[in-house]
Amino acid sequence: MLFAVLAPLIIAFFIPFLAKSKEKLHTGLFTLFVPLLIFIYFVRFVQIDFEPVKQVYKWIPSLHINFDFYLDGLSLLFVLLISGIGTLIVLYSIYYLERSEKLGHFYVYLLMFMTAMLGVVLSDNVFVLYTFWELTSISSFLLIGYWHMKERSRYGALKSMLITIFGGLSMLGGLIMLSVITETTSIQLMIERADLVIENKYVPLILILILLGAFTKSAQFPFHIWLPDAMEAPTPVSAYLHSATMVKAGLYLVARFFPLFHTYDLFVILVSVFGIMTLCWASYMAVRQTDLKAILAYSTVSQLGLIMAMLGFGTNVAIFAAVFHILNHATFKGSLFMVAGIIDVQTGTRDIRKLGGLYTFLPITGTLALFGSFSMAGVPLPFLNGFYSKELFFESTLSLQTGIYDFFLAIVPYLAIFGSIFTFVYSMYFFFGLFGKKKAHAMNNKQTVKEAPLGMLISPAILVIGVIVIGLFPNVFNKSFLTHAATSIQQTAAIDSIQFWHGFSTPFIMSLVVVIIGALLAYTRTTWEKVYDYVPGTLSFNRLYDYSIHALDSYSRKTTKFYMTGSVRTYMSIILGVLFIVSFIFMYETDGFTISFSDLSDITVLEIVVVIAIIVAAIGTIFSNHNVAAILILGITGYGVAILFVLYRAPDLALTQLVIETITVTLFLLCFYHFPRLQKRNETKRNIATNLFISVGFGLLMTMIAISALSSTWFDKISDYFIETSLPIGGGKNIVNVILVDMRGIDTLFEIAVLGLAGLAVFSLIKLRHDKEAK
Amino acid sequence: MSNFAVMPIIIPLLAGILVAFFHKKLHIARFLSKLFIIISFAITSYMTYIVFTTGNLVLETGSWPAPYGIIFVADPLSSVLVLTTNVLSVACLFIAPKLVSDEKESYFFYTFAFLLISGVSGAFLTGDLFNLFVFFEVLLMASYGLIVLGGNKIQLRESLKYVLINLFSSVVFVTTVAFIYAVVGTVNMAHIAERVQEVEQQGILTTIAIVLFFVFATKAALFPLYYWMPRSYIVPNPVVSALFGALLTKVGIYSIIRIYTLIFNVEVSYTKQLFLIIAALSMIFGVIGALSTSNIKLIIAYNVIPSIGLILLGLAAFNTAGISGSVYYLVHDMIIKAALFLIVGVIAYIAGTANLKEMGGLIHQYPALGWILFISAFVLAGIPPFSGFIGKLLLLQGAFEGEHILSIIIALLSSLLILYSVMKIFIQGFWGEKNERIERKPLAGHVVPIGFLIFFSIFLGVAAQFVYPYIDVTATYLLDPELYINSVLKE
Amino acid sequence: MEFIISILAGILFAAGIYNILQKQLLRIAIGTGLISHAAHLFILTMGKLKRGQPPIIQEGITQYTDPLPHALILTSIVISFGVTSVVLVLAYRTVNENATDNMEQLRGSEHE
Repeated sequence: MLFAVLAPLIIAFFIPFLAKSKEKLHTGLFTLFVPLLIFIYFVRFVQIDFEPVKQVYKWIPSLHINFDFYLDGLSLLFVLLISGIGTLIVLYSIYYLERSEKLGHFYVYLLMFMTAMLGVVLSDNVFVLYTFWELTSISSFLLIGYWHMKERSRYGALKSMLITIFGGLSMLGGLIMLSVITETTSIQLMIERADLVIENKYVPLILILILLGAFTKSAQFPFHIWLPDAMEAPTPVSAYLHSATMVKAGLYLVARFFPLFHTYDLFVILVSVFGIMTLCWASYMAVRQTDLKAILAYSTVSQLGLIMAMLGFGTNVAIFAAVFHILNHATFKGSLFMVAGIIDVQTGTRDIRKLGGLYTFLPITGTLALFGSFSMAGVPLPFLNGFYSKELFFESTLSLQTGIYDFFLAIVPYLAIFGSIFTFVYSMYFFFGLFGKKKAHAMNNKQTVKEAPLGMLISPAILVIGVIVIGLFPNVFNKSFLTHAATSIQQTAAIDSIQFWHGFSTPFIMSLVVVIIGALLAYTRTTWEKVYDYVPGTLSFNRLYDYSIHALDSYSRKTTKFYMTGSVRTYMSIILGVLFIVSFIFMYETDGFTISFSDLSDITVLEIVVVIAIIVAAIGTIFSNHNVAAILILGITGYGVAILFVLYRAPDLALTQLVIETITVTLFLLCFYHFPRLQKRNETKRNIATNLFISVGFGLLMTMIAISALSSTWFDKISDYFIETSLPIGGGKNIVNVILVDMRGIDTLFEIAVLGLAGLAVFSLIKLRHDKEAK
Repeated sequence: MSNFAVMPIIIPLLAGILVAFFHKKLHIARFLSKLFIIISFAITSYMTYIVFTTGNLVLETGSWPAPYGIIFVADPLSSVLVLTTNVLSVACLFIAPKLVSDEKESYFFYTFAFLLISGVSGAFLTGDLFNLFVFFEVLLMASYGLIVLGGNKIQLRESLKYVLINLFSSVVFVTTVAFIYAVVGTVNMAHIAERVQEVEQQGILTTIAIVLFFVFATKAALFPLYYWMPRSYIVPNPVVSALFGALLTKVGIYSIIRIYTLIFNVEVSYTKQLFLIIAALSMIFGVIGALSTSNIKLIIAYNVIPSIGLILLGLAAFNTAGISGSVYYLVHDMIIKAALFLIVGVIAYIAGTANLKEMGGLIHQYPALGWILFISAFVLAGIPPFSGFIGKLLLLQGAFEGEHILSIIIALLSSLLILYSVMKIFIQGFWGEKNERIERKPLAGHVVPIGFLIFFSIFLGVAAQFVYPYIDVTATYLLDPELYINSVLKE
Repeated sequence: MEFIISILAGILFAAGIYNILQKQLLRIAIGTGLISHAAHLFILTMGKLKRGQPPIIQEGITQYTDPLPHALILTSIVISFGVTSVVLVLAYRTVNENATDNMEQLRGSEHE
């Protein structure tokens, strides 16, 4: 199974070489056999007595990250969709994309996606699942940006990436929490330990984080906004990633974690509410679109919402219907996307306002579209699979568990009808807009429009045959396939047989209502279109997204500009201010300040005089307004310190200090003699106050720490050892010297290195000027 | 055997001195620097191998016994970091002849670079607090030499700010060492640790620890002490930026990890709060900074800040997962930051500008560079299967075990925005119509060293099985300071 | 006396920082000089003052002042000297190139 998952990725590595070497053959032909073989490999699992298969391949066992593949009914459904539709898509793309394009890239991305998607649905390990999950986002990003010369493509690619990776990251947060709580990385084990999760106080957070992942990926309201913009991708990609497979990963995730959370009310509420909302909003919005692919994008969103809602309802019927609809949607929506692609290629436009009356020119395409769109609309005909799952959906809205949020439950059936009516409307809008009667201002070069080449029609035709076969013989797929998928979500969610005719039950009446009102609305669409000017009007989540991105940039610019002033004064003030204020807080909180007057040396007059002299000189530097004077005063403090060194019996120090101070003062004079003259400080009162606050505060902190440190000398100093061993082992009478050159010789070695470096730095500073960078 | 502990310091030092003599004969200097960095890399690898197989290497210099003389301790943490330093130095020194002008090279570029490496390795390896100060000065002085190299107007201006702020923090550092000496009467880190634990970190010690933390936080560029960093990192040559971005701030965060795991680990409640706040704010303001600009170099420079924040988060969590996450992330970040600084350096070189708004369509001429940038963006944001993910996973696990929920959310959001900020470079710089103005220059010599770093990043992620056990050992080791103390003060 | 020196060093720090917070480069450079002095005084004081003879071994004397701070200060003095010389030359070059010694005019904003 590992090979099956990774095969596309491995093949992808060779694609660039193939793409270069071939001239006559289309790169897609090389690619075609990959999903086909995978499909054949997995299709043999479709049987009535199917048992889940588990295979483990070690990856990072020390972190419990392994390729634990787990193939159950749910995974199998997705795997077959991915490989089956993948095959058709590759076939279709061979005719859709011209050889002049950078086909190598296209197929590399597509194969990368295939691996990623197979990985998502087969991984039992949450972190491997996450890895593949992000890989789907990345390949989707690259495919949307395939025609990156177009501004819209770049916009759409970035948008989809930001939203899906946002979801992915929050999902990661949730998965990490789950794995910490349950102490496992296996989803199946997590489900066994569901109690631990439900009892944990962070379960609402975990749930929201994981659902964010699912909702963003499956384009649920209000995160649906990326999907219409993702339509900038080549049509095969839209059909494959953004309709049949990737966007269903969110549904997969919810279904996968269903057993873990289904006893938890918030899960039921969130999933069903967002699902229903998405269904209603997107189906309503779809009718407003003028771009063919945008209509299909919104319709995809609405269908995803429908499935999501059913997963939320969680009843046996609902779960079964959800699984069934995943399959059905893939068939009819896939074919419709391909139809849209054909029309785009053959007529050169996707604007439904410019199209119409195409049936005479494209009869085969038109027929395919007829089946696809009527199935999508849920027209009650026995050879359309869409009707079956739609009716099961109505049934499930009527049989919800009561007890929680009764009001919500009461309106669910009405919302379902509302959503379905608009689904009907956009399906009709799509079909009749293209193939119905010619519009007044439609394009007039119809004569040139020809039926698509046969190769392009094969794939949608196969899908439409799927629509019809499933419609005619739904039970063929039930026991061997759908039941396994449904029961792997919920044990009891099997249905004995799928019936077309239930009698005049409520769901059927609902279907009729939908068809009647839908037909009416579709017919009169132009008269009520104005409603879109009011709802949503100019408000939309797209605008919110654009605004947020813009605000993110402009606010971060403003914020950063505000504090990154480039002024040393600001930087130092902040660094010092934070340093001493936080340190004082800590000193206070930990009772850090101690003072003890025992064990201090005596005070002599001479010392006091020197100390006062230094203080006066130090403060004098602030007030001095003359270059040379200021430098000399600095010298005085230095010499004062040297005198203190003498008084405190540090002869070596005193000597060094004297020499260094003299050289420093000379250097200062050399450099600063030719400087602009010192001016009066010219500070505002407020500046003085802050400067004083910061400098005095910091000085005080240092003094207080010093006093406390002196008052808490709890240990003997290691210096005693130096005094003892200086002569016998070090062989020198001057202890300081022995320390410097022997005991701490490394310090001295690198001190010399510092001096050497300083010399080189000064040398290159003076010598190397106006270097011309880069060759 | 224990002499190996000093090799990563001595070899670059000698190399630096040696190449200084050949500053007029660049071909010799280039050859020598490549040769020496490879020797250093090889020896460091061997040293790391010894450390993980036989335990800490403790070198008492001049045979003066610890805690009296200066010691070098090659323990799991320091050897891993020294090894990483050498990995990225190899890439930097190999790309240098391509990116650094001959003139700069002849003004002791290689000497400064080698002493920077020597200083950084010294800081990682030393077991003596005052000696740590000395190595800080070595690496800072080398960095001063590198940052002013070339000496144009803007460069001088930003260098001056950089030097002033580092000078100040060094002065505070050395003062703090003195305070510690007054209280515990020693400057050997193991000895300090032993004595601090003996008195249970009472009295003034926690305050001193905080001052020390701020000193290192200034070097590590944590909020709110990073102001000096972004602009001064982008003014010098890209190779210098890469060395700075990969090494300088990391020495700061290493010191924080070392000091707080080894010495000040008793009174942690307040410190932990402080770390959490600073970590969160660093992540937030770092990405805000990265989003605020269209200068590609500045974008990367700002991205240094949130990663340091993330590493601090692991330390704040203070459990095995958190600490191993910090170490893993540290290693990952050193490599990817070096790579990214080099990448944007090369981009700026081929595009003739660092301003994103003036770029576009580079993928047509430079596909390899584009894809390397693309991968690096995901590496940086911590998307699996790359190296950032393993570190982030551990960090977040650690944070959740410590119930720091808000920090987790901030960390995740900042990852997203980090990705956005770097992906901007890819989308705006590489995608789009072909720019005919840009001529195709040969880039093999540039791309190979960068590819070498990216390879390491991918290896750290995909082959985490070969790396993580060592990091896990390191984290367990860090959480038990007795191990360090006993290896140094064996009586 | 230790406390008085600590206070003196604190004042030196404060005066140094006050200078560093000024606009003109010369004042900033002077400030850095002052804080290095302060640091050295702190180190010296931390070994306690006047506890014996200068640390040079002589017959018959058992009490010496703590030699370790002296060694540390010596190292530190030399290092500060190196840094100071770089700062000075750098300041000199910066002022010449940018034609101002006012740090507020050296903010720069051309990177954004």
